[in-house]
Amino acid sequence: MSSQTELNAQDALDAITRNLQAGDDVDNLLTQTDAASTDAGELADIIRRLHAVLTPAEPSRDFADELRADLLDDEQGMVLRVRQMPARVHVAAILALIAGCLLFIMRRLFGSDAPQEIQEEAVATPL
Amino acid sequence: MRNFFARRDSYDDLDDSELVALAKADNQAFGELYSRYLKKIYSYVYRRTGNTHDAEDLTAKVFMRALAHIGAYEDRGLPFQAWLYRIAHNIVANWRRDQSKHKIIALDDYVARSLQSEAPERLAQESEETTQLMAAVRRLPEDRQQLLLLKFIEQMPNAEIGAIMGRTEGAVKSLYHRTLLALRDDLRLLSDSASERYIDGTKV
Repeated sequence: MSSQTELNAQDALDAITRNLQAGDDVDNLLTQTDAASTDAGELADIIRRLHAVLTPAEPSRDFADELRADLLDDEQGMVLRVRQMPARVHVAAILALIAGCLLFIMRRLFGSDAPQEIQEEAVATPL
Repeated sequence: MRNFFARRDSYDDLDDSELVALAKADNQAFGELYSRYLKKIYSYVYRRTGNTHDAEDLTAKVFMRALAHIGAYEDRGLPFQAWLYRIAHNIVANWRRDQSKHKIIALDDYVARSLQSEAPERLAQESEETTQLMAAVRRLPEDRQQLLLLKFIEQMPNAEIGAIMGRTEGAVKSLYHRTLLALRDDLRLLSDSASERYIDGTKV
């Protein structure tokens, strides 16, 4: 098939599809198309069948409502957003958390004694 | 920080790009986008998966992922739905890769349609043709299936399909032509093999 013939066939099939979807006459278009070289008749039949079969599907009301509730729940939304943050943000948050925990533990263990010990050591150390 | 003061009573008057900007911080704005595109995305996923259970599961994943990433969404002049369809396409592609056995067809709606019909014999034949056609569609490569769904279910113009698929309008037309030819050849093969009958083990 030459490239021009192929382009014509593509245009014809596109026009047939658009007309079918718009509810317009398709037979008229087919008679104007060179059916022998483009197989337009056979392909138009497939287009008709696809048009009849490939129709929108409706989600169930329950599913739509449940998913909406999940998505619009503020906590869930926040969890999702946090979960999808870049890995470096997660790493930074974890490191900050560990550092905070260590600081807290050290203060609990040595918090009240540490300054006194340091002072005592300073006093005991000969100049 | 969440901008509570930006919340509105109604989002109907906003276009998609305004909604997306709000949705980065306001879940209710995302809810409006969800309302606008749930049926489209569900239809697309349903036709790709062939059953309600997986369609619901994957549709939920599409919107969850969209919600999670909307903060990073950049308006590059493409319609918002192109972004959503790309997410849906990727999720379905991953799902298909994970499937060890491919389901062939969603029967539930065809059965429902058949029940409304009058002549049982004619219906049985129609149902078989429909089944064969859908099976042939599912044997097509991913991009061709996507093209057919966007063209027939969404009835999108070629330019918009091109935006979603990352192709020019001319390339979409060309792919459509080749897809129809491939479907015709596949259905011819089926028809030829169905016309071969065996009597007492002999092909007639």
